[in-house]
Amino acid sequence: MKNIFISLFSILFIFACSSVETVDVQETKTVDLTSSESDSGSSMSEVDIGEPHTKVFFDYDDDTLREDSLSDLLAISRLMKENSRYTLLVEGHADERGTREYNLALSERRAKAVEDFLVASGVSSFNIEVVGYGEEKPLDVASNESAWSKNRRAELFFIK
Amino acid sequence: MIRVFYLIFINLFLYSELILEITESANQPVKIAVLQKNDNSFKGQQIVSIISNDLKRTGEFEVLSSDQLLSIPLNESEVIQRDWLLLDVDSIIFIETNEDDNNLDINYSIFNISYNETEDKRKVLGLPDGIRQSSHYVSDGIYEFFFGIEGVSSTKLMYVMKNSDIHRLMISDADGFNEQILLKSNKSIISPAWSSDAEDIAYVSFENNRAQVFTQNLASGKREIILSSNSSVSSPAWSPNKRYLALTSTMDGNSEIYLVELKTKKISRLTENMSIDTEPAWSTDGRKIIFTSDRAGSPQIYEIDIRTKIKRRLTTEGNYNARASYLNKSEIVFVHRGAENFNIAKLNLKTRDLEVLTSTQNDESPCIAPNGNVIIYATKDGSLSYLAGVNISSKVKFRLPALYGELKEPAWSPFLR
Repeated sequence: MKNIFISLFSILFIFACSSVETVDVQETKTVDLTSSESDSGSSMSEVDIGEPHTKVFFDYDDDTLREDSLSDLLAISRLMKENSRYTLLVEGHADERGTREYNLALSERRAKAVEDFLVASGVSSFNIEVVGYGEEKPLDVASNESAWSKNRRAELFFIK
Repeated sequence: MIRVFYLIFINLFLYSELILEITESANQPVKIAVLQKNDNSFKGQQIVSIISNDLKRTGEFEVLSSDQLLSIPLNESEVIQRDWLLLDVDSIIFIETNEDDNNLDINYSIFNISYNETEDKRKVLGLPDGIRQSSHYVSDGIYEFFFGIEGVSSTKLMYVMKNSDIHRLMISDADGFNEQILLKSNKSIISPAWSSDAEDIAYVSFENNRAQVFTQNLASGKREIILSSNSSVSSPAWSPNKRYLALTSTMDGNSEIYLVELKTKKISRLTENMSIDTEPAWSTDGRKIIFTSDRAGSPQIYEIDIRTKIKRRLTTEGNYNARASYLNKSEIVFVHRGAENFNIAKLNLKTRDLEVLTSTQNDESPCIAPNGNVIIYATKDGSLSYLAGVNISSKVKFRLPALYGELKEPAWSPFLR
């Protein structure tokens, strides 16, 4: 069970710029998931899975695997078939352009495209987890094609 | 319960995130002065200041400061018309405050200079500790008198502030005051949404390393996860009657739109398609939902009748149209990609007239003020996201730059009256 630290803030605002502004007292509840207390409960969010084993990249608004990704994915497929205890986490990502929710769906389809390829090559789908992060975890925060092409990706991690 | 009182002096971080810069004013702003009537009290001055700031923030008023005036009348009978005609002033707003232990009422009148007479008199009944909110109601009344559209100074905004990898879901008055943190997380928070009564919110949190939808009660802070599953759940939208949450999930293997009845947790599926279906938004009568789908190869806006499940495509111009909301019965607002940039656009469903409303780049997450006339959206300057806005009728454009960190994912509250 998640241990959520709930703090009660009562904030007095004193406006400095124009001295005639007023003072209001407001009460609100803040749910704080960043405090150390909350970490003990939500272990999943704090597992460090390290660097991805492989990255594959995609074209704009596209979830089709590119030819240059296939040899890497076939190598992953061989590894997994040789060792059926391996579990692969596939994280899909999108560049910042367009809307966050559409990008979330698009990024999950990219991860799914990787899964579908591996399953078609003989890997069991039970050993693959997919997750979409949309545009929330860019590798490069710049707003240019070089950054966007790095961010349109799927990252593959061996987690067990 | 433990109460922790924080006294924050001159803490820029907490109260003035929403500084507003008008980037394009109205062609002919209404020139006014806001004055205390028969009084010169500190409280009256506060009220005048709040109202003046509200009206300036619309970009549709030019509010003269006292040092610009030629004479300062205490009431209507002292107005020297010539002085005001020289300054080209349209009207004087006289503010009168009546206060006792339990009430703080504000009377205001709008005195037209050319007619040399009072055109309108109104009153806002308030509480002594609600001086800001009462003043905002006065501002909204003045706005409505001049433009025939309800003002939105008394509403609230919700948004996500990101600062050194901490994501804060915030809420504040429309003028940036009373900023409060609703949720603080190390992981992304997106798609905040208000319930129609402004008592609850919904949002997507990645706190468990996957997109999940939560609802949260504003007063109690109580949270509830909606549709706990191993698939991603996102894009929550409350139905106007608050009975349902429309959302997107990949629980059936592909991104589809579902309705969740909140009391019973009964789920019904609205879309069935191999493509991406997401970003549901309700019509005001709760009968229809518009959503984004790439079933035709690129993201476009579709509408579905909830009862008959009949769908129709609404957008045809451009290869990227997404995250739509109804502006009114016949118009929608959404993210549109023209030649290169992503902008906020408006489509008239009857005339098929498409109007691009913004001139920034990489615009996203448009939200509509409850008066249906102002849009705030997120955009980027370099690598930093900030909020910007546009007034549909007056074409006023403005920006709300963050002093620290980034601002994104705005959501405008309903009217709070």
